[in-house]
Amino acid sequence: MPDASLILPILIIFGGAILAALSGHPRISRRLTPSKTGLILSLAPLSAFILILTKLPWLETNAAYTWEILWLPSLGLRSCLYLDSLSAFFALLITLIGTLVVIYAGQYFKTATGVWRFFTYLLMFMGAMLGLIMAGDVLTLFVFWEGTSIISFLLVAYNYTDEAARKGAFKALFITGGGGIALLLGFLIITHLTDDSRFIIILNSGETLRESSLYFLVLGLVALGAFTKSAQFPFHTWLPDAMSAPTPASAYLHSATMVKAGIYLMARLNPVLGFTETWFWLLTFVGMATMLTGAILALKRTDLKAILAYSTICQLGILMMMIGQEMSISFKALIIGILAHALYKSALFLVAGIVDHETGTRDINRLGGLRKSMPFTFGIAVIAALSMAGLPPMFGFLAKETLLATALHPTLPKLVSWFFCLSSVLAGALMLAISGRLIWDTFMGATRDPGIKAHDPPWIMLLAPAVPASLSLFQGQFAGFREEAILLAHAAEAAFGSQVKISLALWHGLNAPLVLSIIAISIGLVMFVYREKIIALLLYLEITNTLNKAFTAVINGIDAMAAKAVSLQQGKLRIYLVTILAGVLGLIVVFGGFPPSMNIHALTLPSFTMAGELALLRIIALFLICGTSFACIILPDDFHAILAFGASGLGVAVLMALEPATDVALVQIVVDILLVIILVLALSRLPREKLNAIQNLSFKGNRPDHLRDGLISGAFGLVVMFMSLAALLSRPRVSELAPFFKDNTKLTTGSTSIVGTILTDFRGMDTLFEIVVFSIAGLGIYTLIRFAAKKFKDTDPSGKPALSSDIHSISSVGMSSGKMTPLMRVLAQVMLPLTFVIGVCDILYGHDQPGDGFTAGVIISIGIGFQYIVFGYHEIRSRLVWLKPSGLIGWGILLAILSGAGGLFINGHYFSPVDFGKLLGLPLPKGIHLSASMIFELAICLSVVGSVSHMLNTLGRPDEKEI
Amino acid sequence: MEILTAFAIGLTFAVGLFQILRRNVIRAAIGLMLLSNAISLYLLTTGAYIGEKAAYVGIAVGEPVDPLPQALILTAIVISLGTTAFVLAMLYIISKRYKTCDSDALTGLAK
Repeated sequence: MPDASLILPILIIFGGAILAALSGHPRISRRLTPSKTGLILSLAPLSAFILILTKLPWLETNAAYTWEILWLPSLGLRSCLYLDSLSAFFALLITLIGTLVVIYAGQYFKTATGVWRFFTYLLMFMGAMLGLIMAGDVLTLFVFWEGTSIISFLLVAYNYTDEAARKGAFKALFITGGGGIALLLGFLIITHLTDDSRFIIILNSGETLRESSLYFLVLGLVALGAFTKSAQFPFHTWLPDAMSAPTPASAYLHSATMVKAGIYLMARLNPVLGFTETWFWLLTFVGMATMLTGAILALKRTDLKAILAYSTICQLGILMMMIGQEMSISFKALIIGILAHALYKSALFLVAGIVDHETGTRDINRLGGLRKSMPFTFGIAVIAALSMAGLPPMFGFLAKETLLATALHPTLPKLVSWFFCLSSVLAGALMLAISGRLIWDTFMGATRDPGIKAHDPPWIMLLAPAVPASLSLFQGQFAGFREEAILLAHAAEAAFGSQVKISLALWHGLNAPLVLSIIAISIGLVMFVYREKIIALLLYLEITNTLNKAFTAVINGIDAMAAKAVSLQQGKLRIYLVTILAGVLGLIVVFGGFPPSMNIHALTLPSFTMAGELALLRIIALFLICGTSFACIILPDDFHAILAFGASGLGVAVLMALEPATDVALVQIVVDILLVIILVLALSRLPREKLNAIQNLSFKGNRPDHLRDGLISGAFGLVVMFMSLAALLSRPRVSELAPFFKDNTKLTTGSTSIVGTILTDFRGMDTLFEIVVFSIAGLGIYTLIRFAAKKFKDTDPSGKPALSSDIHSISSVGMSSGKMTPLMRVLAQVMLPLTFVIGVCDILYGHDQPGDGFTAGVIISIGIGFQYIVFGYHEIRSRLVWLKPSGLIGWGILLAILSGAGGLFINGHYFSPVDFGKLLGLPLPKGIHLSASMIFELAICLSVVGSVSHMLNTLGRPDEKEI
Repeated sequence: MEILTAFAIGLTFAVGLFQILRRNVIRAAIGLMLLSNAISLYLLTTGAYIGEKAAYVGIAVGEPVDPLPQALILTAIVISLGTTAFVLAMLYIISKRYKTCDSDALTGLAK
């Protein structure tokens, strides 16, 4: 049933994380001890726990709560939550142990500063984990799944100054993150197969999935994700290394929650992916291998946390194995196993943290005899360890009994049953030996290190392990509550897919599992007594190192590949460009459908008849373009090449004028000239001998280089040629949009130049932005050369304006460092006023004639540029004192923005056309309209002059010493 | 006729690319400008070509040409002028910092 309050627990916990981050503020952290912070923050998981608890009465009917929000409706993507007995079971564990761990962490970090960081990570992790468990669709699950991986990285690397912590965190992230990618692929295929990402649909699509040809792929990918997350053999190696996390994090992440995510996922998907041969063999064998590896490796460790980590691996193997089975009792074993393990393992981890906290070491070889100084800690440890050993009257005993009952189940194949029994008994015996070792070597015997002075921690720190430990004890004694048994049964059912009976009674009388249990206990006791010898033998064998070596080899291999990739980067931009172009060519050839299909019949041959003189002109322009472009390559002198480029640009302008595109042709001409001026200015900043050196570079290099470049650019030219040809031959006779512009230009704006109107009225906003971009280019050049370059000492430091006396002494020196003839000087002087006249005409009549504000701006700039070339930088500065480029740009853009505002006030639309002349009844000469767009053109002109002046000023300014 | 136009566009484009691939960065700048010329011409070819008169309202005879590509080309020319000038400024800075105009010598990454 839908229930929006499902999101509450997750929100509360993330809210707690935000609070924890805020508590890092000096003002707050000064008043709060970590202990108080922990107590306050623990309210978040506690209230989440209670909230989930309130849902339980309704869950008894085995119904599920759902909630969903569409976050990308067009793609059908949604975020869903789903709470059934199985999720509720996990969610309760997560929030209960989470509450205890948060309280405990407040005590654990008594002296450390920056604890807020730990609390924030921990609560974020809790939120992600809760989200993972309660996710109602595979994509939400994946997002939270990755969240747990990333935050667990942060938690493991909490002591980031410690290299081991960083390495352990990286290893965990690398392995679980890699599994996460596989999982995402698996989820996507599932979504594809079932046409829905929600569990409510997926859980009913078991047939579709199992019968699909992609089943094995899905199974492999999902299993890879779950196995890496839940530390299954051979991916288990990250878990012991992750023990460099602070102990509260280890207790939480690596016993109760994160490592159970894989178990949860497999249990959740068992009804749809399970019940196949592959599923059975895969999970059984991986689980069995994990169980034995964990148990054997745990025994030989001496670090308390490492022992616990390997025993966790062993337990995770057992759980995975249980999911692989096809009988109800194994799912009873699964659920009871998860609960028992979460209880005793978190208690043991927290005890290990207390021992570490009080004695300063976790090394079992240095500990011993702590029972007298830490009696309460000892008591809790004994209860939890007895549960781990699977001894009565603890809850762990029930877990082991159900495991053995599964192993003995008559439906199992005989051989498998044998293997199952053997390995379970062996693992059980090893666990008993490990538990014994843990307790005996830490608390019993004599004190080994006399320097260690320990005592029990404050009661509040003991509370955290005491609660799960006593739950382990009382569960076993009182057979639990009826409601609890029902919840567990429903959870097991959700994983199994049909009914499971669970009673929490410890004794079922003398039966076969009990006999096996007794055998396991006997072997375990023998192992415990002879533990020294067994450990010596195990140390001799060294199994785990090979896997660690494999991991290191993988990482080194990736590093080597990266180094190889970096070594390909030899830093020559031309080579990169050639590579990119060749790649694009390859793509065009393979996928581009090249050569394109085109209407060959529309092809007309160039006619040399004088009948259409336009055609002849066009041919001449085309030949001009081709010839000058080619000349651009072969001319050795850069100045000549620039001139050739200018000529080619003029050829383009002629072609445009013949189109006929008069406005474009005009702009093309002036821009072409301006570009040549800027280029010449930029070039002439360099001394002649340097220029010659540069020019020699143009054709330096060996022939194959030229051939390669020629081939690549030739091929691209061919592609572009065919593209143009296709465009030319298939272009429509009638435009869809042109009639609109044609009909509305006069009507709405009163002007006749359609192109100009499109620019200033129909697409006024575009033009505004365009002019802003152009102004920014000018300002950018100015800041780049004047400030940034100076800051990094790229230009000579003497950037100050020269003294006025210098100006007069060099007044007749132009940019070419030579004397200018009087004729040139006069011409340059006359040119500027003329350009002003042309510019003003352009703006006044631009409405009905070719030309616009931009053209006007560029024409005036050309006049200024001409003076630059003739007079040189310094004289210009004294001649044109009124030229303040930044001011011009500023006023221009301001005016442009304001010019649109007139339309806003009068017509209600920004940049809508307004004719102020007509509005005010001004007697203007014919052809001149005092309209908003004319003000806009004026504004454009101002900012263009400003921007181009910046370009000329900075590019045309010689460094002082080069004059 | 179309063949010649297409050929001119293709050639300009090829020459532009070839120039960009030179070691002399000034040639590369020229190449960039040639490329933008070629692209302007190409844009011109995308317009519908029924008209043969300039795009003004109230022309006596004939149909006006498609004005939209022209407006787009105008914008393109303005922006390419701005970017080209900026590229020149950057080339200037680069040549100052690395004391060379040889693009092969600009191997900041390899160092």
